[in-house]
Amino acid sequence: MVQKGSPLALGNESVWSLLLQYAIPSVIAMTAMSLYNITDSIFIGHGVGALAISGLAISFPLMNLSAAFGTLVGVGASALMSLRLGQKDYSTANKILGNVLVLNLILGLSYTVVVLLFLDQILIFFGASSETLPYARDFMTIITLGNVVTHMYFGLNALMRATGNPKRSMYATILSVIINVILAPLFIFGFKWGIRGAALATVIAQTSMLIWQFSYFRNKENYIHFQNGSFRLKRKIVTDSMSIGMAPFLMNTAGSIIIIVINQNLIKHGGDLAVGAYGIINRVAALFAMVVFGLNQGMQPIAGYNFGAKQFDRVNTVLKLTILLASAVMTVGFLICEIFPHAVASAFTTEEDLIDIVVPGLHIVMIFFPIIGFQMVASTFFQSIGMPGKAIFMSLTRQVLFLLPCLLILPSYFGVKGVWYSMPAADLLSSIIATYLLISQYRKSYIKQ
Amino acid sequence: MKKDYFITIGRQLGSGGRIIGEKLAAQLGISFYDKELIQIASQESGLGKEYFEQADEKKSYSIFGGLFGLRGSLADEPFSTYYLNDETLFKIQSDVIRKLADKGSCLFVGRCADYVLSENPRCLNIYISADMDDRIKRIAELHKMTAEKARDYIEKADKKRAGYYNYFSNKVWGEAESYHLCVNSSVLGIDETITLIRHFAEKRFSL
Repeated sequence: MVQKGSPLALGNESVWSLLLQYAIPSVIAMTAMSLYNITDSIFIGHGVGALAISGLAISFPLMNLSAAFGTLVGVGASALMSLRLGQKDYSTANKILGNVLVLNLILGLSYTVVVLLFLDQILIFFGASSETLPYARDFMTIITLGNVVTHMYFGLNALMRATGNPKRSMYATILSVIINVILAPLFIFGFKWGIRGAALATVIAQTSMLIWQFSYFRNKENYIHFQNGSFRLKRKIVTDSMSIGMAPFLMNTAGSIIIIVINQNLIKHGGDLAVGAYGIINRVAALFAMVVFGLNQGMQPIAGYNFGAKQFDRVNTVLKLTILLASAVMTVGFLICEIFPHAVASAFTTEEDLIDIVVPGLHIVMIFFPIIGFQMVASTFFQSIGMPGKAIFMSLTRQVLFLLPCLLILPSYFGVKGVWYSMPAADLLSSIIATYLLISQYRKSYIKQ
Repeated sequence: MKKDYFITIGRQLGSGGRIIGEKLAAQLGISFYDKELIQIASQESGLGKEYFEQADEKKSYSIFGGLFGLRGSLADEPFSTYYLNDETLFKIQSDVIRKLADKGSCLFVGRCADYVLSENPRCLNIYISADMDDRIKRIAELHKMTAEKARDYIEKADKKRAGYYNYFSNKVWGEAESYHLCVNSSVLGIDETITLIRHFAEKRFSL
């Protein structure tokens, strides 16, 4: 009999149940993350005001950049961790844990110092005006002070997954969201702390979860735990994990740069409220995209294994199924935003001026949502069948190759709408590329067979 | 079962490591695994042989390699596992090595077997090097290439093997402290080197 959890199960069990089994935990974790972002924006929008939403949107790239530094260490270290654990090499695995903690501490602190020193200049460069700067500054000062915690929290959470504890890591994510959802309204509406309250709630939520993780990694009964001597940085661990983490780091950085360009264009052509509108649209779009990312994660092992085992029928089944589910999710997003854009915008703010910018924006930005799910799945598909080059290329086409030129050209002619038009334009073009690459891959696999 | 013992051989390309391992295993009457591991790993996992061949004993972990090897994710998604990456293939292969070791005494050439079996106390780790001239001669003959080309080939292979070993094993390839015995096969010649290692193993395992 095929053992549960063995690679052979990936080649035998029903594709449907495999996909559900693998995708549901990731979908839950992803949704929790984006719900956290959305609720934060909603509380700030209603409790502080429209300009505060703009201030928040201005600080997105800075937060993304911090997350990018987190992946620089976290992604690589967890890859190394699972490698060592696969060989039952616990002593090296423990050193990786200690090194991750120290690295996050160093990176986190340096980031905090640099950002706090130049906070105003950075935010102004990112598109803050005299109106929105105070909000962005208040928010980012607290978030940046808590940056070390954020880094260590995400780093340890990634290691938690790698040590075979995906559930605990998922609970940590969900719990931090719950804590935040309780504290943020209390601080904003109850204590009237404004946007600072939202930032504080975030930092407190992450600190509590970090303490929880510390308690796990301090327990000597676990294979992997903090040990004396494991905190001395090992050159090999540092360079290995950083070189693995370099790709996701650069992708995240590219994402931050794109948002900076978007914000700069919006402030130029539409002012502060347009930036706030993007903040809202971005949160809404991300909610649906994150679900698809979760599905993608579930697809990876199934597609990868069966492709390697040359069971192309099963590869096709899982690919089709994932595309179908992803497109369904994105279509739901599309329908909600196209039919009820006003209701969606009102969830974040009551100020009509802002709603008036969000509504047409949502209309335009979401127009190709039903097909972009396909592109997102295809990109991950190539990664899972061992063709990361194509995966990177596809992701770059959407984020950089198409979006950036559109953003540099279209706004000069269409103003704020030009910014909105750039996004579906990039979606459409990259979906065409995805279709082409996927069809040619499909033909190749079948001819080989 | 306790009587079982294992010998692993790390070797420079062209040092005669494979033939030493093969003959030594025959003299000791134990199983011998080199490239055979790939075939077995492919059968055990159901994955195509070519994936194991592609990933066999090479690994670039430079920044560039990391960039285009894209581990992890494009978005903020957590690190996810997927098959067909070098790490998974290595895990499958090392599970095969451990399984074979469970069946009885054997000798492994390459593939970080020393690291894979490091939990096992009855494992002897050998490293075989040779003088550059001998290596070039051997490789040039084997692959029917010029000495110039052979040298180039050897240098590249050394780099690949070192990269592979250092990435997967957390030890340093070719460094004395990674092994129990390091020997240059040019000194005594292939046959006498085999005898030397055999005596070493006989002493160690009281055969």
